[in-house]
Amino acid sequence: MKIIFSLILFFLASLSFAEENSVNVYAWPGVIPNSVIQQFEKETGIKVNFSTFDSNETLYAKLRATKNAGYDVIEPSSYYIDRMRRQNMLEKLDKNKLSYFKNLNPEFLNQSYDPHNEYSTPFIWGVTGIFINKNYPHSAAIKKWSDLWNKNYTDQLMLLNDAREVFSIALKTLGYSANDANSDHIKKAYLKLKELNPNIKLFNSDAVISILIDDDANLGMAWNGDAFKAKQEKAQIEFVYPEDGFVIWVDNFAITKNAPHRENAYKFLNFILRADVAQKIALDNLYPTANRAAQNLLPEKIKNDPLVYPSHAILKRGEFQTDIPDSALAVYEKYWEELKMSE
Amino acid sequence: MKNDSTFKLFSLSIVWVWLLFFSLVPYGLVIIASLLSHSENNLIQLPFTIKNYIDVNNIIYLRILEKSFYLAGLCTLICLVLGYPFAYIIARMKSSFKGLLILLIIIPFWTSSLIRTYSMIAILKSKGIINSFLMGIGLIHTPLPLIFNNTAVLIGLVYNLLPFMVLPLLTNIERLDNRLIDAARDLGANRLTTFRKIILPLTMPGIIAGCILVFLPAMTIFYIPDLLGGAKSVLAGNLIQNQFLISQNWPFGSAISIVLALLLAMLLLIYWKSTRGKKERDLL
Repeated sequence: MKIIFSLILFFLASLSFAEENSVNVYAWPGVIPNSVIQQFEKETGIKVNFSTFDSNETLYAKLRATKNAGYDVIEPSSYYIDRMRRQNMLEKLDKNKLSYFKNLNPEFLNQSYDPHNEYSTPFIWGVTGIFINKNYPHSAAIKKWSDLWNKNYTDQLMLLNDAREVFSIALKTLGYSANDANSDHIKKAYLKLKELNPNIKLFNSDAVISILIDDDANLGMAWNGDAFKAKQEKAQIEFVYPEDGFVIWVDNFAITKNAPHRENAYKFLNFILRADVAQKIALDNLYPTANRAAQNLLPEKIKNDPLVYPSHAILKRGEFQTDIPDSALAVYEKYWEELKMSE
Repeated sequence: MKNDSTFKLFSLSIVWVWLLFFSLVPYGLVIIASLLSHSENNLIQLPFTIKNYIDVNNIIYLRILEKSFYLAGLCTLICLVLGYPFAYIIARMKSSFKGLLILLIIIPFWTSSLIRTYSMIAILKSKGIINSFLMGIGLIHTPLPLIFNNTAVLIGLVYNLLPFMVLPLLTNIERLDNRLIDAARDLGANRLTTFRKIILPLTMPGIIAGCILVFLPAMTIFYIPDLLGGAKSVLAGNLIQNQFLISQNWPFGSAISIVLALLLAMLLLIYWKSTRGKKERDLL
């Protein structure tokens, strides 16, 4: 049964990966500019097969369904690094082959999702906080997540279309961890979110920037990187690091177990860690980089903007996203459906 | 003659191989998966169980199915009310425009429906074409809330599915025998009676075919409620997607797909029974 499944999927996945001196990279869209890929190909002569996924779940399902999907380098978020390393899906990194590992910002190393960074190197990160359109009349007083429950904001909020991100708001408001797996706590968070329902205008994760710029929502949750990008086109956008705590997400590079081009994968990973390359990437995707050397090379107006690089004091309020067991995920999913069906 | 039968055999075998590999085998896999269990380390594993089907019988999933049926039904009704006169006028048209008008219905099919849905966002959003125009001519001062609500979902569904209603009706109405209408008139029926007693029963097969062609996709196009409705409710399509991707529960996701497929098959069966052996079919 599984074999047939695997064969079919493997056949489809492997069609494009015939070339020998190559590396197969599977990453989020828009995070690595083409010019950087071309530079890597020119410097090393290694052909890059670059493909993208739209969610960690897609990446994970693809790698699980086919033991050998053919990808060498992948870019999951922190909680999926956690899951995949425990399920023995990642290569234990040989740091001797990653000479630029030292460029990384220690603030994002040795986190609980990958202690000692044995399996992953942090790449970009972000904070899920509150965005505000200053033109919106009632916007001034918002400092923390619990302010969003105010009756003034009926049918105004945009929330990310992601169960764990949305539940983290309520969990934080109630004083729990954003990584809580206790079903009683999740239920309390659900009841809290149900009270927020009249204020919710929409859920969206893939067109956040244009929604901010075009006034389709005046208030809600967004990543600081997206708020920064929206602000370039619309100065009225403000971003709040909630006082009651927030989630920090980190997207990391890792090498798959039994990667078909392991040596090339190391070369690619090390190339991405190089300060000048990471700076180029950071300037292009405008997300906060986990590469300290690259951060120092950025223009003053970016590296000193607290919207992109909040101070250490602010970051200390944040909590890194970690994996939770499938049984708890099922609880989240159940209440997520209940939440959306209750009107 | 011999050539003919080889060709027939060849084309038939293509159809059968196609059905076997791209319809029967995948569906068989889904059925098997729906009867298995899962764990953190295996997407699907033994033992066999019917637990997944028992789990579907949960108030929340029934409400999701009910809401999907409601939305799809409403969409079908609107398509019928808009599509019937539309198809009737085009079908009865004598001018040379007719071909062009039919072409205009088909042209949108040349673009992916997902892309057309994104273009609806550009039309409906706060700074979209409609709101900019109305604000430009000074008719309104604050943008109308045209997007991220149920109305937007219905607009999107009807826009995407209307041709599926119009086309079967068109072929049906075109084949209407004018002599029957003339005869009704000669026998003293007024326009309304003619429509009710002659035209409507004769076009019933077209109506039913159109309704089914609209209803089935309306149940499962999950991206329209997501993009235009602001993802505020879970529909059958989202439910299945979430079980596979978010909850990693492939057996349960498969079970929901099978239940949905059975419900839709039942509708087809009702249609098949209702048209079978009817006299209207002989008249066509």
